[in-house]
Amino acid sequence: MADDERLARVTLSLIGEPGDAKLTSLVGRLGATRVLAGLRDQTDPELSADLGQRLAAARPEDELEHAARRGVRFVVPGDEEWPSGLDDLASGPTVDRRGGIPIGLWVRGPHRLNDLANRSVAIVGSRLGTTYGEAIASELGAGVAQAGHCVVSGGAIGIDYAAHRGALAVSGPTLAVLPCGLDQWYPKTHAPLFEKLASDWLVVSETPPGGVAYRTRFLSRNRLIAALTHGTVVVEAASKSGALSTANWAAGLGRPLMGVPGPVTSAVSEGVHEMIRFRNAALVTRSEEVLEMVGEAGQYALDFRRAQEDPRDRLSVDARQVLDAVPVQRAADATSIARVAGLRIPRVEELLEELHQAGFVVNREGRWHLDPG
Amino acid sequence: MWATTRTVSLQGAVGHVIDVQVDVSTGQAQTAMVGRPDTAITEARERCRAALDNSGFDWPVTKRITILLSPADVPKRGPHFDLSIAIGVIAAMDDQMPRAALAETALIGELTLDGRLRCVPGVLPMAMAAARHGVRSIFVPEPQVAEASLVKGLTVYGVRSLQQVVAIMKGEAIPDAPPVIPLTSAPLLSWVGEASRDQVDFADVMGMADARYSIEVAAVGGHHLHLTGPRGSGKTTLAERIAGILPDLDADERLELTAIHSLAGSLPGDGQIPSRPPFRAPHHSSSRTALLGGGSGRVRPGEVSKAHLGVLFLDEFPLFPRDVIEALREPLEGGLIVISRGEEDATFPARSMVVVASNPCPCGEFHPNLRDNKCRCQDVVRRNYRSKLSGPIIDRVDITRYVEPVRQHELTDVLEVPEPTAVLRERVLLARERQAERYRDHDWRLNAHVPGPALRELWPMVPEAMSALRTHVLKGRLTQRGGVRVHRVAWSVADLFGLERPDQDCLITALALREGAPLAGAVVRRRKAS
Repeated sequence: MADDERLARVTLSLIGEPGDAKLTSLVGRLGATRVLAGLRDQTDPELSADLGQRLAAARPEDELEHAARRGVRFVVPGDEEWPSGLDDLASGPTVDRRGGIPIGLWVRGPHRLNDLANRSVAIVGSRLGTTYGEAIASELGAGVAQAGHCVVSGGAIGIDYAAHRGALAVSGPTLAVLPCGLDQWYPKTHAPLFEKLASDWLVVSETPPGGVAYRTRFLSRNRLIAALTHGTVVVEAASKSGALSTANWAAGLGRPLMGVPGPVTSAVSEGVHEMIRFRNAALVTRSEEVLEMVGEAGQYALDFRRAQEDPRDRLSVDARQVLDAVPVQRAADATSIARVAGLRIPRVEELLEELHQAGFVVNREGRWHLDPG
Repeated sequence: MWATTRTVSLQGAVGHVIDVQVDVSTGQAQTAMVGRPDTAITEARERCRAALDNSGFDWPVTKRITILLSPADVPKRGPHFDLSIAIGVIAAMDDQMPRAALAETALIGELTLDGRLRCVPGVLPMAMAAARHGVRSIFVPEPQVAEASLVKGLTVYGVRSLQQVVAIMKGEAIPDAPPVIPLTSAPLLSWVGEASRDQVDFADVMGMADARYSIEVAAVGGHHLHLTGPRGSGKTTLAERIAGILPDLDADERLELTAIHSLAGSLPGDGQIPSRPPFRAPHHSSSRTALLGGGSGRVRPGEVSKAHLGVLFLDEFPLFPRDVIEALREPLEGGLIVISRGEEDATFPARSMVVVASNPCPCGEFHPNLRDNKCRCQDVVRRNYRSKLSGPIIDRVDITRYVEPVRQHELTDVLEVPEPTAVLRERVLLARERQAERYRDHDWRLNAHVPGPALRELWPMVPEAMSALRTHVLKGRLTQRGGVRVHRVAWSVADLFGLERPDQDCLITALALREGAPLAGAVVRRRKAS
């Protein structure tokens, strides 16, 4: 991408609300340079009026340099590390005037964003989760990251934090998408987590440095979490939880949606249960099942779990019927066994011999009883 | 000629001051002992005679000696009557002995044939009883001075021999005597263990946020706790760290606990007094007597009393015999255990935090999740095993936790450092100070011990929480008693948060703790900030 286009995108990133659908679609069609020129020329007087104050104050070169000093880079579509998954947003939904491919992303950390995003799973959930949900989120985070898939989440208190924590515990890849600029941490109490992510993995934001974590920015942030990843797992979310917003984006983008069930009495699992009931979210209970959903076809296929096999299960129906009729200790002759089993005598004699061979019954002087072993 | 001396007889931890009246008069030469003495006291006659003879005093062989122990209705036992009887005989024949001083002095000690003293168990509760009944000074075997000195307002004389006692009473020069051998020369195992118990710390326990929080709440209010989970999931690891987060014992508590050890004869010889809450973990094969107290002859306190003010850990709880479990009901509810035997009722304090641990099945490998389940028990066996978990003890357990085995990723966590015992203890201390302040005009110290009616009247939760709790009871989700217990735990949750009154969150948390349901993550984290 040409330098002036990149700089124009920096400017638009500085002045536009993150994920503003109008702006992203304009940039998608016309390119940032022309959109910026249009703004200056008042092509859309309302938009120009809305963004006029910010535009006048924007110092893109300074901001870039300032960001670079903090180790923050600006990544735009077409860059090597631009994750292709984000391009699906062009045809994705618009929710509350948010949507579309980001104009650019602010990124901090030693990895290339596309490397991590190419094999990734979003694990999100309630800020008000339970110890159960947090334990599961950590376990899933660890399992997914151990398999080399990046755990993407929002760095929020509760489930998000637990998911990142699980991944970090196994030194596996994980990245956080923040609603605020990367010169600050939201929530502040998670500074150690974000420092660790910035030094070992990645933190990403659509909001430029200096931008505050306003509530409206969580929605557009959630769209990135969904779009960056190959599937979204929701661990605990109440009926109206923000975590469901990420799930909605994922569903809108056609990405696999997964939910971890909780007790039916738990209010913080209600949203997940609804997702499974109404949105066809896959019910997952462990990381292997998550990987099966997001991996290449057959890559993580799981064996169907069976109950322990009983050797009796291999017998024919007739043989089982005979076996049921054989007394445990007091031996009986074939005639009486045949009567109890309700089968003809020659057939029963034949089957008893088979069962004897297989070690199910013992022959004592022509009479039969079960093998105690 | 006659004289009166005083000593103390014990019934459990309760002491009675006994007057020993000795009359020496002419008549048929014999020694009569009246007032319900036990065998040990009857034998005192022989020991005293020899001790007097060998100490240079004369036993009045030609006289009629009557020894009366009163009050007559109190059964009297123990060899420590020796000293009071011997001094009584001496005083009856010697006008130089100060009668008035004798009336304010308790004499404790067993005599050897050569007139030296021997240590006896129970000196501390004897001294406590003596002080309460107006005794001003007490003579005890020298190694037991530290024990008796714990009681305020008593002048304690540590003595080695009969001669020394007489010399002190008469104000004469004190003759030398070989030192008295302490009761137990080796320090008590659990107190040696105190050092090693300081080595175990919550800082070494990774993960288990849920269980750690539950333990903290239990420690705050003195609630009984049930930990269940597969073998090796860390139940014992958690349990043996609980005593560590309880605050140091205060002066009164130290006295109570020392009195119990004094009775058990398990005070260390070096005169050290326990300052930390005890941790006792009796095995399920322990005898009923070892666990609850009793024994032939002298009634000794059991493990439930030795755990007084500390933690009583019952591992593999379903394997304890049913009658023992039944008998635990009383101490769990009332904080006392009464051992009835013949005409004698011995009462010992037994107010501990009971921690019950159980496996989910006899083999201990059962896990509700199929992938982790390695259990090979039959369903019926598992069911029978679990049925033992019902009954009087579990009904009185306020907090139930399922302990999950620690997962690999929890061991390698890089974000959070587990809080050490010292930090937990500090929080528990603060929460207990709030209780002490709240209950300062009452007989109880901890939330778990507040009677139900008082709780409802004086310390309700916020109105919404109270009505929510009532609804639970009305709907039959909780029994009336269960409701009270939840209310108590809600207070402990509130004390841990530093709240004025338990709110809705506290109630929800208390209910979850009782039912073994997951806790809100925010609640578990909230206490950290406070």
